[in-house]
Amino acid sequence: MKARYLIWLLAAAALMLVPLVSTTSFQHALVQAIIFAIFAASFNLASGAGGMLSFGHSAFLALGAFATLHVMRGTESGANSVPTVLLPIVGGVIGLVVGLVVGYFATLRSGVYFSMLTLAFAELFHQLAPNLSFLFGGETGLSSIRMPSLGLSFATDLHVYYLVLAWGAICLSLLWFYMQTPFGRLTLAVRENEQRLRFLGFNIHTTKIIIFATSSSIAGVAGGLLAISNESANYELFSMTYSANVLLYTFIGGAGFFLGAPLGAAILVLTAFAVTNMTHIWLLYQGLLFVLLMMFAPRGFGGIIARNIELYREGRLRSLVVPYLLALVPGVGMLALVIFVCEALSAFLSREYAAKRVVSGGSFVPAEFLGTHWDPSSWVTWTLPAALALVCWLTLPPAIRRIRTLLSPHV
Amino acid sequence: MSEFALQLVDVRKRFGDSEIIRGLNLNVRPGEIHAVIGPNGAGKSTVFNLISGMFAPDSGSILMNGQSIFGLPPHLIARKGLARSFQITNVFPQLSVFENIRIACMRRSGYYFSLLRSVAGLRGITSEVEEWVKNVHLEPVMHKLAGLLTYSEQRALEIAMTVASGADIILLDEPMAGMSRDETANAIELVRNIAKGRTVLVIEHDMDVVFALSDRISVLVYGEIIVSDVPANVRGNARVQEAYLGSEAN
Repeated sequence: MKARYLIWLLAAAALMLVPLVSTTSFQHALVQAIIFAIFAASFNLASGAGGMLSFGHSAFLALGAFATLHVMRGTESGANSVPTVLLPIVGGVIGLVVGLVVGYFATLRSGVYFSMLTLAFAELFHQLAPNLSFLFGGETGLSSIRMPSLGLSFATDLHVYYLVLAWGAICLSLLWFYMQTPFGRLTLAVRENEQRLRFLGFNIHTTKIIIFATSSSIAGVAGGLLAISNESANYELFSMTYSANVLLYTFIGGAGFFLGAPLGAAILVLTAFAVTNMTHIWLLYQGLLFVLLMMFAPRGFGGIIARNIELYREGRLRSLVVPYLLALVPGVGMLALVIFVCEALSAFLSREYAAKRVVSGGSFVPAEFLGTHWDPSSWVTWTLPAALALVCWLTLPPAIRRIRTLLSPHV
Repeated sequence: MSEFALQLVDVRKRFGDSEIIRGLNLNVRPGEIHAVIGPNGAGKSTVFNLISGMFAPDSGSILMNGQSIFGLPPHLIARKGLARSFQITNVFPQLSVFENIRIACMRRSGYYFSLLRSVAGLRGITSEVEEWVKNVHLEPVMHKLAGLLTYSEQRALEIAMTVASGADIILLDEPMAGMSRDETANAIELVRNIAKGRTVLVIEHDMDVVFALSDRISVLVYGEIIVSDVPANVRGNARVQEAYLGSEAN
C-alpha cells in the first residue's frame, strides 16, 4: 500500500517538475500528450467501458476546439470575458450538447452499425466544415490569442502546460469517480449484455445516450485545451486521422484499464515527438507496434503492467528478472533489425534516391539514413542486419522458452 | 387486485407465414408455481418472449395484475414487477458474481442515473447483494467473474439476478436444463424458496421436476393451451397423454 502512494507521489512530482527543466518544444509536446491523454480517456469511456466503439470521436475534439476559439475571439474583441482557465468548459458544453443529439441517433444501433453511424457523422462535419466559413473559418480555419488569466500571462508553453495538467487531473478524476458510481457500474454492464439489462428494467437507449454524451463532453474539453494551446484550429481536426489515432492510443495503452488509454496516448505522442527528426516513417513503426501488441499482448501496455504486478504479488517476478534480461538481447536486436530494414528500404526505394541514381548514370550511390551514409552495393551495409538477424535467431528461442516455463501456472 | 397475476386472452403471434401462437389463453394465479409444458416447438419460449416484451403479440391481450402490458417494451414490463430468466445463460460474463447481482438490485432501490455517490458506499445494496449470494449458495465464488463459473452456478446466478430485480412475478425458462440430479434437487429447493410470496411461471422439460414443483400445469401444444389444471388432473388427461405424454403413459 505504501509503495503505491509513493509511486503516485513520484508521478505527480514528475508531472509538476519536468516541464520546468525542459525545452520549449518539449513543453509543447507534453501539452499535446496530456490533451490527447484526456481525449483517449474520453474515448475509452464509450468504447472500453461502455462497449460503444466510436469511429467519429474526432468530431467532438474538433467541435470543442472551434467553440472555444469562437469564445476566445469574442474575448479578444471585447464581446465577452470568459477567463482563459475556464475556456475548456465551453468545449465540454458543446461536446455534451452535440453528444446528446448524435448519441440519440447513433445509439439506436449497436456494434458495427453504431461505429458506422459515428464515422458518418464525423465525415459529414469533415466535408461540410470547409464550406461553413462563419463557423469553422473555411479551409484556413480559425485562430485567436490567449488572454492573461488568474495573474498568469499564458504567453509561454509553461503556463499552458500547468493549465492543461490541471484540467487533465480534473477530467481523469471525474472519469474515475464516474466509474465508481452506480451508473459507472451500469456502463460496464451495457458493454457486457444489453439484453439482460433491458429485462432488469433499464432503458438501454437512454443509458447509452448518457454514456456517449459524457464521453463526447470530455472529448470537447480536450478540444478546448487544444484550442488554447494551438490558438488555432482548422477543419482537418474533424478528419478520420484523429479518430483512428485515439483508437490506436487506447488499444496500445490497454482498453481494459482506466489509465491504459491516457498512458497509450502519452507514450505515442511523446515518442512521435522524440523521433520526429530521426525518421519520416514513424507512422509505420506505430502501426507495427499496434500489430505486435494485438497479436502478442492484446490487453496492451496496461495488460503487460497488470500481469507483472500480478506476478510480483505472487512472488514470481523475481525469478523472471534474469529471463527478462536475457530477452532484452534479442529484443533490442530485433528492434535494431526492424529499424535498419525499414529505414534502408525507405531510403533506397525513395524517389529522391531514384533521382540521385539517374544523375550518377544508374550506378548505386550511397544513401543517407540513421545519421550516416550507406552504400547498397557494399557488403558492409548488409552485414549489419545479417549479424543482427543471427543474434536474434540464436538468442530469442531460449529466452522465450525460459519465460514461458516460468510463466506457466504448473510451475 | 385482480384475480390473476397474469392473464393472457386469445393471444396470437405469427412469424412470417406460420402462426406460432394461435389464440392462447393462460391464467396464472397470484402466489402459485405454474408450469408450462409441451412438446418441442409448441411455442413455450415464445409465450415467455411475448409476456416479457421481447416480442409484441399480433393480437389478444396480456394483463398483469389486471393492467394491460400488451406491447410494452421489456424495461417497462420489468419495472412493473415482472422478471424473467433465459434458457441460454444470460449474465454479465466479465463482471463478478457480486457485481452481477448488484446491478440487478440497483434500479429498484432507485440507483439508476446515479452519478453522485460511490456504489461501494451503498451499504443497503451491499448487504442485499450478500443476502442473495448466500441464498443461492454462491459465496465461494462471489468475486469470481460470472463467465468463469460452472454451468449450474451460472444458472443459480441467473435466477438470483432475476429475483433480485425486485419482481413479484418471475418467469423461469428451463431453469434446470443441463443440470445433474444433485444440482436439480438444489435448484428445486431454490425455486421453492423464491416462490414464497411471489408468482412463478416456469417452463421445464423434466416431468419429475414439473410434477414435484408446480401447483398447476398448463400444457401447450401447437400454440394453444389445451389443459390448465392441478398436476393430478393433467396427468390423467387423455388429450395430454395423446399429445405429449403418449408414449410414457403406455
